[in-house]
Amino acid sequence: MNFFKNHEHKMNNSNSVSKTIKFLTLALLFIGFTSCSNDNDDTPLLEVESQTISNLQATQSADYTTTPPTIIGDYIKFSFETGSTTTGNDWDIAFRGSTIIVNGGEATAQDQPARTSSTGAYIATGTLASITTVDNSLLKSDSSTNGLAIPTGSGNGWYNYDPTNHIISPIPGKIIVVKTNSGKYAKLEILSYYENSTPNDDLSNSQFYTFNYVYQPNEGVTTF
Amino acid sequence: MANLYRMSLNKNNILIFFLIFFSGVSFSQEEIITIQDSTKTKILGDVIITATRTMRQLSSLPLPVQLISKKEISNVNSMRLNDILNEQTGLITVPDFGGGEGIQLQGLDSQYTLILVDGVPLIGRSAGTLDISRITVGNIKQIEIVKGASSSLYGSEALGGVINIITETPKHGLNGNIHSRVGSFDTYDSNLNIGYRKQKLAMNAFVNSFISGGYDLNDNDALNTVEPFKNYTFNSKLTYDFTNKTNLFLSGRYYAQNQDYIASEDLKGDSNINEWNAHLKLSHMYSDKWSSYFEFYTTRYKADEYLNNPDNSRFSESNFNQLLLRPEMRATFSPTDKSAFIGGLGWNHETLVRTDFSSQPEFNSPYAYLQHDTNPTEKLNLILGARFDSHSEYESQFSPKAAIRYELTEKLAVKGSVGYGFKAPDFRQLYFDFSNSTVGYTVLGYNAVISKINELEAQGQIANSVVPLSDFDDELKPENSVSINIGADYNPTSNLKLSINAFRNNIDDLIDTRVIANKTNGQNVFSYYNVHKVYTQGLEFNSTLKLSNQLKISGGYQLLFAKDKEAESAFKNGDIYARLTPSSPSFKLKKEDYFGLYNRSRHMANFKVFYEFPQWNLDANIRGTYRSKYGLFDTNGNNYLDAYDDFVEGYSVWDIAINKTIYKNYQLGFGIDNLFGFTDTQNISNISGRIIYGKLNIQF
Repeated sequence: MNFFKNHEHKMNNSNSVSKTIKFLTLALLFIGFTSCSNDNDDTPLLEVESQTISNLQATQSADYTTTPPTIIGDYIKFSFETGSTTTGNDWDIAFRGSTIIVNGGEATAQDQPARTSSTGAYIATGTLASITTVDNSLLKSDSSTNGLAIPTGSGNGWYNYDPTNHIISPIPGKIIVVKTNSGKYAKLEILSYYENSTPNDDLSNSQFYTFNYVYQPNEGVTTF
Repeated sequence: MANLYRMSLNKNNILIFFLIFFSGVSFSQEEIITIQDSTKTKILGDVIITATRTMRQLSSLPLPVQLISKKEISNVNSMRLNDILNEQTGLITVPDFGGGEGIQLQGLDSQYTLILVDGVPLIGRSAGTLDISRITVGNIKQIEIVKGASSSLYGSEALGGVINIITETPKHGLNGNIHSRVGSFDTYDSNLNIGYRKQKLAMNAFVNSFISGGYDLNDNDALNTVEPFKNYTFNSKLTYDFTNKTNLFLSGRYYAQNQDYIASEDLKGDSNINEWNAHLKLSHMYSDKWSSYFEFYTTRYKADEYLNNPDNSRFSESNFNQLLLRPEMRATFSPTDKSAFIGGLGWNHETLVRTDFSSQPEFNSPYAYLQHDTNPTEKLNLILGARFDSHSEYESQFSPKAAIRYELTEKLAVKGSVGYGFKAPDFRQLYFDFSNSTVGYTVLGYNAVISKINELEAQGQIANSVVPLSDFDDELKPENSVSINIGADYNPTSNLKLSINAFRNNIDDLIDTRVIANKTNGQNVFSYYNVHKVYTQGLEFNSTLKLSNQLKISGGYQLLFAKDKEAESAFKNGDIYARLTPSSPSFKLKKEDYFGLYNRSRHMANFKVFYEFPQWNLDANIRGTYRSKYGLFDTNGNNYLDAYDDFVEGYSVWDIAINKTIYKNYQLGFGIDNLFGFTDTQNISNISGRIIYGKLNIQF
């Protein structure tokens, strides 16, 4: 088995050391696991995927001629399985402005895409590396009565809004854990809300998401 | 007022007093008595009234107190109150975003220190800060600073301490002075002071004009850091002794300031402040034991500002108009010369008319206080006091205080005090009704929430509530604190004075804004809540060394830890994370990574050398102040100030001054404030750079 050589680590940051250690642990466990099993069993677990998505644009604008103002913009849907945006029903989470919705539950506003699966999410506190298991009891879908699974508003969900300089910054230590539309698990850490991770002077380059995520492609495995 | 001194200066105190201040002379009983008779004015100069509301000599008090004399103020050529307070141990002025400067004391913000002039409070805290640069020091006799909660005597705002500015009283005959200081940044400070005293009547008139060209630390924008301004202070006092037992005191003060108000290249206007106060006091001494005082005080503070568009049409306007009326009666009773009681009854009536308010609020608050100051033995002094403030708009407050001082030896005394302090919710926290027209968020005062939320809801502006409206059924609680001070005074030799004080202020129910609802435009509705619990604790050290009659050296230091208790436990539990760069992955912070509250330096120090050259009638001094690094806001996204945030670097500012007296009545002065021209254009807006000045003072 060529597990170690094939492993490609795309994260290019200070986390990569602990990441690698975790992969080694995972790999050792995996080896231990497979060595006990029949050598002819050819359904080995798939490799956990770590990716960085940069500058995912999710523009929203507001029409202030109406009262209350109308918010316009498409939700940009994202699938962890493909690691890219999608326009179909196979999405897990979708972005518009600072709002993130999940493909589960029900729409909380009329202009949101219909939910087509039982995707859920919750926000855990930790680093991307330290969140190693999914707590299924915490998973929530969007709800017209209880609000979005990932709450909006400064300090409530994934970001803080600074009313003096108007910068939206991801709260350090907030990891979004997702159960995907096909019942698998992913975790992500949003790193920036601005294009190339640097807000410009008039903040016109906002609504560009950069995030790291880890996807567990194996059915029913709740660890990363 | 002279009879007051006798009451609290018992023989024992007088003795200690002379031991300290006239230690150069020998200690025979006869000599002390002679000195007492001949230097009465000198005794008065070193007593303080703020700590107990009776005359007490500074060195015998069981509380941490500081006194700044007229001599020091004129030696260092201060112009405004912030200049001189900034040089005192543990005090620092912090610029407000509105342009004013508030005082930080024992690590507590400016809204927690009560500022008095001749024992009555200044008002006009439009955003919490009382701008002390409003106050000229041209007619000040002394400044008294009492640290630690003093609500037992003064009620609201005296949570961290009290600063009382005592104005000058005229000498016999007709006399006065003209004073002018001209310095960098087109700063002109001019005083005229005329006093008259004959037999029963004393009168005094004072005028100050302060003009500044402002300054600009950042050339990249259309705005100045401080726009040009001018202000005037008029103060007159009259005292009349009907008999030697019945005295009248009348004082009036008027202050007016005009400043350019520039918001951007296109939006320009004016900002005006008008303030007046009137203070009447009638005192009567019934016997050696009983005295009473009737006092009436009223003050109004008005701030108006506007901005015009380039075509001179009005862009915005705002105004603030606060009135305080306070009748107070108090009585003192001294059964023996070792014991004094003071009790008072009063009423605060306050109104405010302000832009962006839901109503025109009115506060009514009757109060009563009682204090017992006693010396059960020669070495022991005890003060017990309490005050009750009833209030129409928030929970009534009971504020007790106890203080003790014990003389271990003639050179060493220990003292301690525990007190309760509170600060009433201000009008803004109760009645604000403000929606930002460009961004779209709304801020509501606590008492305005229920009706305004329902209104917004009816207009379809509320997306969902974050907290239930029932949270606003109870009254908002005053911010309150228990403060503890423990210290010692040690005078190992006659020319060396040392004092140390450890303090802790436990502050509860701090009011902060919190999101209460989300709006359909994606913004939030904020209101005020009793949320935080914080503490400030530290150590203050002061020393004065008189090496000769010519040379005096003093040094002070404050160590400070100011922290939010919830934040402290969040760090301890490992709930707080940070990023090294804005978009790098987060990592967990440790307990020791929490730095504390914003704008607090761990270390502050001052060092001063005063030297007199009697042969030339010249005095000179050099003074330095230091503050260590501090954080102004969170820079790494976790809403806490931690070791990985950007800090304002520590700095020191050095000042020199030289004054020469010629022909007895003329004094010429020269000095440089901020000798090395320190500025931090990004972070410190109230340090303009090097200031070179000249001064002329003429006595007549």
